[in-house]
Amino acid sequence: MENEHIRIKNFSVWYGNEKALNNINLTIPNNAITVILGPSGCGKSTLLKSLNRLLDEVDDVRVEGEILVDGKNIYDKDVNVPALRKKMGLLLQKPQVLPFSIYKNVIFGPKINGIKDKKILKEICFKYLNMAHLWDEVSLKLNEPAHKLSIGQQQRLCLARGLAVEPEILLCDEPTSALDPISSKKVEETLLELKKNYTIILVTHILRQARRLADYIAFFYLGELVEFAQSKDFFENPRDERTKAYIKGDIS
Amino acid sequence: MNRYLKEKLFLILMKISLYLFLFMVASLFFSIFFKGISYLSFEMVFSKPKKGFYLGGGGGILPSIFGSLVLAFFSTLLAFLVSLPMTIFLNLYSKRKFSNFIRNFIDLLWGIPSIVYGIFGFFIMVYIGLKSSLLAGIITLSFVIFPLILRSLDELLQNIPFTLKEASLSLGLNKFQMGIKVFLKAIAPGVLSSILISFGRAIGDSASILFTAGFSDNFPTSLFSPVSSLPLVVFYLYSSPDKEVSGRAYAASIILIIISILISLISRRIGKRIYGK
Repeated sequence: MENEHIRIKNFSVWYGNEKALNNINLTIPNNAITVILGPSGCGKSTLLKSLNRLLDEVDDVRVEGEILVDGKNIYDKDVNVPALRKKMGLLLQKPQVLPFSIYKNVIFGPKINGIKDKKILKEICFKYLNMAHLWDEVSLKLNEPAHKLSIGQQQRLCLARGLAVEPEILLCDEPTSALDPISSKKVEETLLELKKNYTIILVTHILRQARRLADYIAFFYLGELVEFAQSKDFFENPRDERTKAYIKGDIS
Repeated sequence: MNRYLKEKLFLILMKISLYLFLFMVASLFFSIFFKGISYLSFEMVFSKPKKGFYLGGGGGILPSIFGSLVLAFFSTLLAFLVSLPMTIFLNLYSKRKFSNFIRNFIDLLWGIPSIVYGIFGFFIMVYIGLKSSLLAGIITLSFVIFPLILRSLDELLQNIPFTLKEASLSLGLNKFQMGIKVFLKAIAPGVLSSILISFGRAIGDSASILFTAGFSDNFPTSLFSPVSSLPLVVFYLYSSPDKEVSGRAYAASIILIIISILISLISRRIGKRIYGK
């Protein structure tokens, strides 16, 4: 486990005087889905936002400790934050399309990052819409505004948009919670396909989703990492009492 | 009093205020319209004032219509160009405490009556040796428009959902790219309507240009020549003791109202077109 993309070391986060994450130590395995599991308010989303430094945009926040991405602490002063974020695709709870056409949503990232050739951009658009299983539904209306799509389609568009900047890591913050069952299934299937090539971190509070998707599970409770294990071990032999209670449904 | 009666009473009050409003709008339009319509003519709208126009001579007020449009257009443009970078800074770069501190001053400017901007503009003109002119009028009028545009841009940017920020930043955009390429596009309909509202305000404001834009029977030939404007035409015409001349003030008012109506119609059209898609 030497060349892991993400290693979190003694990491804590405060919002004002309130401690949201307490001394987290966690190494995220490459090319697998690691599910961050836990009830609301346990610090799952905070952890996710710490990884791509979206936490910077929150007022009155303080961090301690290190997060190493490819060996470099991302909280060092000399870190190029946009470049760091480019390494990590982000899928939000509620899909947030950009106020452009479907086509422009996908190629926006690559274009900003310097690709100008229209032919290449078109290929990018096809490739990633296809990867997100959306191409067939939108191929005839690429120039329509993205917000006209259904929420489920929007989420897959967001996935395609994120993939198009060629990240190595995907951060997903309860990406199916706003979606209908069919779209949820499509998104889940896509994530399972993608884990061959991407390191995926998925935040959820749904046990069944964790069961379906996870290779590894990190269980968080009240800002602490309670247990980290392979998915099978986690569900069959939970070690911590809090984990047992959560799996049984006693705490939520 | 029971609940039912209370509701009934308030419903009556609400309706009374609605009828008062409608009565006010109708009486305003009809009185101006009937008093002015007989003085409104092709010549009035499309020609320059002849000698002694303000004493009852022939001619029209085309230079004032033109002057008002030019003053309003460029002052709005100027105010917009200054407001935009500032609001982007307040919303994307500066700390929230600082931004809120600055917002107090925007509100302060908002409340200052335009005649005060007028004398301030005049003071600056004297200081730098500028005469009453198109340029001075544009600058002073932009003071009046500035807080208006500033505040509406600021509110539009404040209302952008946090998730749009997250989505943009996660693509590797820096804040500047996010502000210019994503946020501006997202608020474009709002920006447009705030520009048009400001334009409407600018075209009707008289106090700020009273000392600064000057007055003239001719079209301005440069930024430094004086320019006439519709509100001041109304003022000068109406000041006349001659009934024939003061009647023309109503005609000029009709023109002013028509321009305002056109602007609001256009802004609704454009707003609908952008939102409707």
